[in-house]
Amino acid sequence: MAVCIAVIAKENYPLYIRSVPTQNELKFHYTVHTSLDVVEEKISAVGKSLGDQRELYLGLLYPTEDYKVYGYVTNSKVKFVIVVDSSNTSLRDNEIRSMFRKLHNSFTDVMCNPFHNPGDTIQSKAFDGIVSGMMVQTASYT
Amino acid sequence: MSVPDYMQCAEDHQTVLVVVQPVGIVPEDQFFRIYKRIASVSQVSIRDSQRLLIRYRHHYLPENNEWGDFQTHRKVVGLISITTCASAKEWPQTAERFHGQKEVYSSTLYDSRLLVFGLQGDVAEQPRTDVAFYPSFEDCPDVEKRVDDFVGSIFIVLESKRLDRATDKSGDKIPLLCVPFEKKDFVGLDTDSRHYKKRCQGRMRKHVGDLCLQAGMLQDALVHYHMAVELLRGVNDFLWLGAALEGLCSASVIFHYPGGTAGKTVARKPSISQPADAGKRHRPGALTANGISADTSTEIGRAKNCLSPEDIIEKYKEAISYYGKYKNAGVIELEACVKAVRVLAIQKRAREASEFLQNAVYINLGQLSEEEKIQRYSILSELYELIGFHRKSAFFKRVAAMQCVAPTIPEPGWRACYKLLLETLPGYSLSLDPKDFSKGTHRGWAAVQMRLLHELVYASRRMGNPGLSVRHLSFLLQTMLDFLSDQEKKEVTQSLENYTSKCPGGMEVITLPDGLKLPPVPFTKLPIVRSVKLLNLPVSLRPHKVKGLLGQNMSTASPFIYSPIIMHNRGEERCKKIDFQWVQGDVCEVQLMVYNPMPYELRVENMGLLTSGVEFESLPAALSLPAESGLYPVTLVGVPRTAGNITVNGYHTSVFGVNSDCLLEGLPAVKTSGCLVEVIPSLPRLQLSTSLPRSAYTPQPTSKEELSSTVSVQLFNGETQQLTITLENIGSEDIETLELTSKIVSTKEKVFGEFLSWELEEALSHLPLKSGQALTLTVSIKVKLDFSGQENLLQDLNDDGISVTGLPISSPLRQVLKPRPENKTVSSESGKAEYSHIKTLEAVLNFKYSGGAGKVEGYYRELSLGVHVDVEPSVFFTRVNTLPATSTRQCHLLLDIFNPTEHELTVSAKNNQELVLHASECQRMAIQVDKFDFESLPQPDQETARFTNPKQLEEERQHLSICTKRLHHVALNRTHPSLRRHGEASVEGVLNQLVLEHLQLAPLQWDVLVNGKPCDCDVIADCKAGDAVTLEVQLTNRSKNSVGPLALTVVPYQDFQNGVQNYNLEDAVTFIGSNTFYIDTVKPKENSVCVGALLFLYTGDFYLKIKFQDDSAGRELPLAWFTLPSVHIRALATPLQAGA
Repeated sequence: MAVCIAVIAKENYPLYIRSVPTQNELKFHYTVHTSLDVVEEKISAVGKSLGDQRELYLGLLYPTEDYKVYGYVTNSKVKFVIVVDSSNTSLRDNEIRSMFRKLHNSFTDVMCNPFHNPGDTIQSKAFDGIVSGMMVQTASYT
Repeated sequence: MSVPDYMQCAEDHQTVLVVVQPVGIVPEDQFFRIYKRIASVSQVSIRDSQRLLIRYRHHYLPENNEWGDFQTHRKVVGLISITTCASAKEWPQTAERFHGQKEVYSSTLYDSRLLVFGLQGDVAEQPRTDVAFYPSFEDCPDVEKRVDDFVGSIFIVLESKRLDRATDKSGDKIPLLCVPFEKKDFVGLDTDSRHYKKRCQGRMRKHVGDLCLQAGMLQDALVHYHMAVELLRGVNDFLWLGAALEGLCSASVIFHYPGGTAGKTVARKPSISQPADAGKRHRPGALTANGISADTSTEIGRAKNCLSPEDIIEKYKEAISYYGKYKNAGVIELEACVKAVRVLAIQKRAREASEFLQNAVYINLGQLSEEEKIQRYSILSELYELIGFHRKSAFFKRVAAMQCVAPTIPEPGWRACYKLLLETLPGYSLSLDPKDFSKGTHRGWAAVQMRLLHELVYASRRMGNPGLSVRHLSFLLQTMLDFLSDQEKKEVTQSLENYTSKCPGGMEVITLPDGLKLPPVPFTKLPIVRSVKLLNLPVSLRPHKVKGLLGQNMSTASPFIYSPIIMHNRGEERCKKIDFQWVQGDVCEVQLMVYNPMPYELRVENMGLLTSGVEFESLPAALSLPAESGLYPVTLVGVPRTAGNITVNGYHTSVFGVNSDCLLEGLPAVKTSGCLVEVIPSLPRLQLSTSLPRSAYTPQPTSKEELSSTVSVQLFNGETQQLTITLENIGSEDIETLELTSKIVSTKEKVFGEFLSWELEEALSHLPLKSGQALTLTVSIKVKLDFSGQENLLQDLNDDGISVTGLPISSPLRQVLKPRPENKTVSSESGKAEYSHIKTLEAVLNFKYSGGAGKVEGYYRELSLGVHVDVEPSVFFTRVNTLPATSTRQCHLLLDIFNPTEHELTVSAKNNQELVLHASECQRMAIQVDKFDFESLPQPDQETARFTNPKQLEEERQHLSICTKRLHHVALNRTHPSLRRHGEASVEGVLNQLVLEHLQLAPLQWDVLVNGKPCDCDVIADCKAGDAVTLEVQLTNRSKNSVGPLALTVVPYQDFQNGVQNYNLEDAVTFIGSNTFYIDTVKPKENSVCVGALLFLYTGDFYLKIKFQDDSAGRELPLAWFTLPSVHIRALATPLQAGA
């Protein structure tokens, strides 16, 4: 499904970024990096109107020719970004949501690890596994 | 129409376009000067309620002009030509050119002007409205006025056209306005159909709306646009419907945002916008002038016609979607997008704006030139910046930069590329100041930032500025080190080395032409420094302050010796002064703990210290750190050249050809215990060398570093060794003072005599010692230790059969000697292990010296020499005993001497009796010694107390040589001639109370004189038979008490040497007078003499025994005090010759 999954810290630096190995990794770095503009914009817009009762899922951040970029922000302002292939039309919004939820749960587990220092890059194998799971499905689909 | 004007904004719809162009040859700078002056007339108020806004262009494609009917602000309505004309002759030609230029825009032009510079004379005099003559570019004061008039004339034309069209409501045929690409579509179309008419009407309405807007009549424009939208929607004329909608949006934007939407890019003077605003408020007046019925509810109407801010965006979206239907209207669509984005930026609706922009990205304008692409990306970047999408903006700027150097471009614009790349830096939150990265770990998009830095490096290199590439590459290496893979590290460093070979990197700030400053990048991570520690001088070179000379430093801080309130200045720990001093002119050391984070060997060259406060000569070091080394100590050295306070600020290195100055204040991770130290004036230096070999021994309580050197020697107990010390002045200052002290390192051993002794006077006579000179000093090492203290030895002593008696023994050497086999075996087995263990004795010789400027300041230096002596036992006195000698003044000291060494040794006493002792042999030796008295000693008041304190006695008597023996060791092994050594042994330690008592002279001293000659012991007094022999007995009382009265009886006898003594000598010896003497009381320190006489009647050997008469006076005093020597007198025959 996903071609790139990234976790970005509150201060907007990457905690974790992984992309389909076959493609240019730097390209995804650029994609995710620029998507932060939209994320920030969305957070600031929502924050004003709804206060703390906002939805974590930000929806489609922006479409490009080849990819669709989805965003998700936790209450602690950690951002998740999932990039999916535009050609993959079978993907529903609900599926994206569930992917984010899974990612969030796994991220919470990582944070619960007493040996993890918040702010450090994520090096958890379990988290890696979850991410791989989401990415592997891509291969089976296409 | 293929070239979009990205700078357009919604309010440009209300302007009229004037082109200003040069004709003929006009210097560019002069042209732009005039152009600027013309452009300053951007707004002209006409009839105090209306105003005209002008847009000036110095370049406009006639192709775009063809779209003037579609949107009138695209129409060139005015032309101002600028030309130079030197002479009247050229004038016709110039005029011709001007006309030619007018032709280009003739279809749309309302009016034109020609500004002629340089022409004077008749031609210039002729009054022409469309031409103005100026003598020079400098002398043209009324250009603005001219332009003002010109704009006024344009307005008149515009107004007439507007009125013309607006009132053109009759059934006359309305011409169809169309855009260039439509023209062929309408050929042969039925012009009479209702559909066609409506289309014409709608398009004309839209056109009138444009004109109204330009003429400053916003309300009218809105009405016309609304009508046009209605009409055009009915006939599905989408392109023009889009235009009408856009016009509606523009008018609404102008109404809502009088400040403009272009932001800062187009500077509109606020003072001008003020009257513009005022103009709008008075719109009703204008409406009446237009012939449209005056409506009192104009305000209401305007509010109705005008779009709300949300609607504006909706309409823009709609318009753009209509434009999108036409491939040839791409530029229009793109420009509409840009305009909408600007509006959204004002509205702060960034997300929607981004959608417009996203759309704009996809608009295909056909084949674009590279330059156009760059322009397009740049503008996209600018617009993203405008809506606050800095990352996206940076992304497009970078794309633009890359476009500048696309491989298809024959002459890549590296400079432009570099400039654009620099502008992307904030978007990637990258600053080129390494200080921003020194705080903690790096947090950012390392992959993206690294890419950008690589591109900067490459661009700057291609620009032909290697210094810049070195700086960027250094920055990349310094800040992104953690993110570079090993391979990348290698590549980066290799290319860095390549660049620096051409242009070494330094610490200067690089200033770019556009004013950007690139701060220097010190390599604080190559190598990484973990701690900086200033080292004290070696102990021997440390300066010491003479106490009390300059007052105490402490007292200035606080009047209290101790206070729990510590006056520490928090925070600035680095500035803390270190409590030792460095000395001017002496090499000082700073220790750094460094490590190399690189996966290969790191060569650091020219590593030295950065200091301030004192002139400091840094002696740089070069080091090579192994790959991924752990902490590695590096010592940087330098010599302070002046005195004062020195601060170590940092260090400098040269790595990969880049010189870095790393300041400690920028490195919070570096541990330091203070960097400020005092440098005192120079002091001399002494170097010490000794005649004895150096050793690694260190006396226990002191640490090794406190001693400059240690000598070690192995001696037998009692041996003396000369130690020659050579002191050389290796410093630059003269040594003016020298002191020598010694200290025996605390030991449990009892040391007899002086361990170290020396004569300093001779050495001191050489002072002051000039630099390079040397002096020598001899120190004697004398070891005397008590090896007999072992418990079992004493027991051994006590159970021996021989006891001390007071009986005189006639033959002093009779005990030489019955070997005691049983004793010997004990000694050789159990004893050997115990006795032969080596004792050590250690002392420290301290040389204090000073001189030069440091001495004036009250400093001196200390040089310490450790002396380590291993003392091997030489001889033991396992037993000591005394035997009385024949003389009362002497006695025999019996010593059981044990040789614990493995060598044969010869023992000799002072009277040259030699005794050879084999290894582990014990023998007895007797030595005749003089008794001594206690007179010279301070005595306790009570005589009885005197003996209870033998230990004290011993100590007091240390300087007395009771008994001296010379030991002579003879090596068994002849191959070791070094063992030919000799020494002294002393019995001081082994004398016990009993022995002492016997060694002591009696307090009553008896002297017997025969014929005036002292007669004692074995001395034979000669006398002549028949002559009277005077016998004098003298008593000296050395005791404290009075003695006497006493009676003495002299008894003569003969000893036949066979044990028979003959006392019956009445006929052989006769006394002249009494044979009994009376001695009255003798007071202390007095003496009494009694004199008698004897007459020997025959020749022969006689003895006199002087006995005490058994007196009634009680014997309070010990018998030993009353032993008188026996007198041996040999009576000789009187020489007959003499008698005859």
